[in-house]
Amino acid sequence: MAVKTAVKEKEKERRAIITVRNLSVEYRTHRGIVKAVRNVSFDVYEGEILFLVGESGSGKSTLGFALMNLVPSPGYIKEGEIIYHLDGQDIELRKLPLEEQRLFRWKQVAMVFQSALNALNPVLRIWDQLYDTIQAHDPNITREEAYKKIKYLLSMVRLDADRVLKSYPHELSGGMRQRVMIAMALLLDPKILILDEPTTALDILTQKNIIELLKKIKDELGLTMIFITHDLSLAAELADRVAVMYAGKILELSDVYTIFYNPKHPYTYALIKTIPKLTSIDEELYPIPGSPPDMINLPPGCKFHPRCPYAKEICTEKEPEFEQAGPNHYVACHRWRELKFER
Amino acid sequence: MSVGKKAKNVLYTFVVDPLKIIVHNKAGLIGFIGLLIYIFMAIAGPYIVPLDTIPKPEQRYLPPSWEHPLGTDFEGKDIFSQIVNGARDVLFVAFLAGTITVLIATVLGSIAGFKGGLWDNAIMAVDEILLTIPQFPLLSVLAALTRLDNFTLALVIGVLSWPALARAIRSQVLSLKERDFIEAARALGLDAKHIVFTEIMPNLMSYIVVSWILSMTGAVYSQVGLVFLGFVPFTSHNWGVMINLAWTWGAIYYKNSVWYIISPIMAITGFQLSAILFSRALEEIFNPRLRE
Amino acid sequence: MSFKSVVGKIYRNFLVRRILRAFGVIFVTSTLTFFIIRLMPSNPIEIFINQMMAAYGMSYQDAKALALALFTIDLDKPLHQQYIEYLINLFQGNLGRSISISPGTPVMDIILAFLPWTLFSVSISILASFVLGVITGIIAAYRRGGLFDKVMSTFAAIISAIPGYLIGILIIVFIGVQYGLINYMRGAYSAGIRPGFNLQFISDVFLHLAAPFATYVLSTFGGWMLSMKASTISTLGEDYVTVAKAKGLPESRIRTQYVGRNAILPLFTSLAIQLGFIFGGSVLIENIFVYRGVGRLLWSSINARDYTVMQAVFLIITISVVVSNLLADLIYGLIDPRVRVGE
Repeated sequence: MAVKTAVKEKEKERRAIITVRNLSVEYRTHRGIVKAVRNVSFDVYEGEILFLVGESGSGKSTLGFALMNLVPSPGYIKEGEIIYHLDGQDIELRKLPLEEQRLFRWKQVAMVFQSALNALNPVLRIWDQLYDTIQAHDPNITREEAYKKIKYLLSMVRLDADRVLKSYPHELSGGMRQRVMIAMALLLDPKILILDEPTTALDILTQKNIIELLKKIKDELGLTMIFITHDLSLAAELADRVAVMYAGKILELSDVYTIFYNPKHPYTYALIKTIPKLTSIDEELYPIPGSPPDMINLPPGCKFHPRCPYAKEICTEKEPEFEQAGPNHYVACHRWRELKFER
Repeated sequence: MSVGKKAKNVLYTFVVDPLKIIVHNKAGLIGFIGLLIYIFMAIAGPYIVPLDTIPKPEQRYLPPSWEHPLGTDFEGKDIFSQIVNGARDVLFVAFLAGTITVLIATVLGSIAGFKGGLWDNAIMAVDEILLTIPQFPLLSVLAALTRLDNFTLALVIGVLSWPALARAIRSQVLSLKERDFIEAARALGLDAKHIVFTEIMPNLMSYIVVSWILSMTGAVYSQVGLVFLGFVPFTSHNWGVMINLAWTWGAIYYKNSVWYIISPIMAITGFQLSAILFSRALEEIFNPRLRE
Repeated sequence: MSFKSVVGKIYRNFLVRRILRAFGVIFVTSTLTFFIIRLMPSNPIEIFINQMMAAYGMSYQDAKALALALFTIDLDKPLHQQYIEYLINLFQGNLGRSISISPGTPVMDIILAFLPWTLFSVSISILASFVLGVITGIIAAYRRGGLFDKVMSTFAAIISAIPGYLIGILIIVFIGVQYGLINYMRGAYSAGIRPGFNLQFISDVFLHLAAPFATYVLSTFGGWMLSMKASTISTLGEDYVTVAKAKGLPESRIRTQYVGRNAILPLFTSLAIQLGFIFGGSVLIENIFVYRGVGRLLWSSINARDYTVMQAVFLIITISVVVSNLLADLIYGLIDPRVRVGE
């Protein structure tokens, strides 16, 4: 009971920093239109770490790009709004003139990518790639000031500035490159950080280090993070809230405790069961049967019904609404009231 | 898999499916039809439109008409018949040189890729040198020192043209070698030759067919160029000879004679363009990622 | 050893490697030329001796002595000694004397009179066509599917299918003859003008350059444009370009330092083949425009059976290709930091 009231207390302080309403993103391909994000609404609260979890193709990365209005061609935002609430202003990035959009990006929202090798320009030294970022937003900054700032951030991600700055990306290890990317993302003191699978391309030890680093950054800087991943187990370590995505929609959204201990959606439950447990060795893993849907020809009704063991007739006919299932707990399932999952 | 079924599969992969796509690819279709016309011209042309060999001085440089669709030349001979009859010579050299290029490149490229080590180094060293030596001047010098007829010319062009393709095939083999199915074949104890011919070759086919067509266009470039400069003796009538004669008879300077010099140029350009359009379409067929 | 000196050493190694390779190709080519001249069944020395005997009724001894003087070769010495002497002569720039074009003149003098014209016309044309191709390629990639892209891509595909010398003939027929400009399409400068460093001569030289220049550019530009377009399109999909946009960099910096610099790299690998092709094509194009370069000289020497000049021109053309290849390699090494470490 005490926990519950504490959560409620926190609830009141929480202020949305991003409001997403009815967002749809599509890609035009030769086979047809891919509906990558379909009519999604949610809030991101100030200072929280929100996890977007889903299989590849669920639209989670597209959603990340849409937040920065950088959906790669041939994709486009079909409709909906993304409103940032910063410094007492409501800003809709998409409606700003291009030059203001440019200045908004990275200053307010920065991003860390999956593969730092591909995310760093292979022909420029690390120094140039960090310096040009600062310079793009503050043309009058001196090299010395920029160097001080860069050196501070590199030491924060535990890199030796003098060594790293002279190097080209291919001369660094995968973990070092990812640290450079994180330092680069923090360079302009952004309010919001989007991390798109920041640990996926790394080996397990480096992964662990990066997670520790992100924890430290969360504690020290208290910025808002949106963490995009296919790995639900990472959420247990870092997340405040988790949004589970499937076929371009959020199926369940709640705080991390509820997601793990009281999931309402069969897909969330299935995802939890795929996580190997360290406590028991001989326990079987439960991969989700079937494969993610063809995003061009989506099945009717609930998009998860072909793989759902609890599917009924209504699931094949009507797509469920995204309803409130508890305080700060939302789920899109026809049967959430009836289903009980054993742990 | 039964032989019949396998044959049917091959038929589908290499004939039926490509034809289906060619019909949908406008540029590819134009190239395909163009090539068919040229091949038809080379095979049947001389029987349908015999070469006009009788000089008629009073009919010099006539403009196009029903009787002479492309006008007449400096001796009053029909140009259209010369174009039709010139196809065989050019296509023969192109076909032979292209085939030799592809054969040498495939053999050496796959040896270099597969055997590695000394074989690889030796083949790549020769490859590098041949790639750097400019081909046309070398052909000119050889033509000056020996008599090159159509057959030897094709042979020499073929022997000189393999490096670029061999290099590409080598790197294809190297990357295919790393793939799982080759590993699997090797784990099953299949020997290298078997792997090359049953597993890797089908993967390289697309590459080879496209390169074969492109080396034909290279051969046409060289052959016509050599004939135009007069470095190889005129063994028969072909488009290079026509350009050479038009050039030396000053056909470029008269308004009436424009048809004489333009006709062979258009014939060559048409062939090159058809070949390139067709090879592009083939590339798309074999490499679905290029389709948009 | 400091980091800098290690990198420096590697770079010097890259340089050394390239230079060694260039010398290797020159060495092999000259060896090849030697053995062709000496050992082919109807080698030029024998042909020459027979010609002298037949045409001027010389005795075999006299004809041979003349051949030795012109080819600077001693046929009585063992083959390997002849070969070594040939290499030494070559190294000293002693390529023998002309047989028939300008009897008795050192071949080197003749080459030096013709070579600058080829280097001048070919290098200006390559540079122009490369720059033009790269720029139109980038524009076409940025506006792919648009009118500019469609028109230019079709034009490039058609123009690059036509052999260069045919384009040259078409230029003469449709521009030279039609507009009475034919006088500017014969030779490297007008017959009546004295070469010298004055405005009249220089403008005359550039007027005569126009037609061969247009021919070289038209026949090669299409290839550059199409490869640059393809390369740019694939670079635009790279993560580091998206990062650059997310960082809020100005569009001009993204275009040059992130897209342009990376997209241009693959073009350097095809430069090697292109250079040989362009220098080789000069034999044909210089003949069409009676341009006084080494290509024209090769034609004259073959027609006049001037074998000493012929072999020297062939060597010089090859060396030009090797040297320009080396230059291209070095530029490539400068703009792509990755190749310095090794291939």
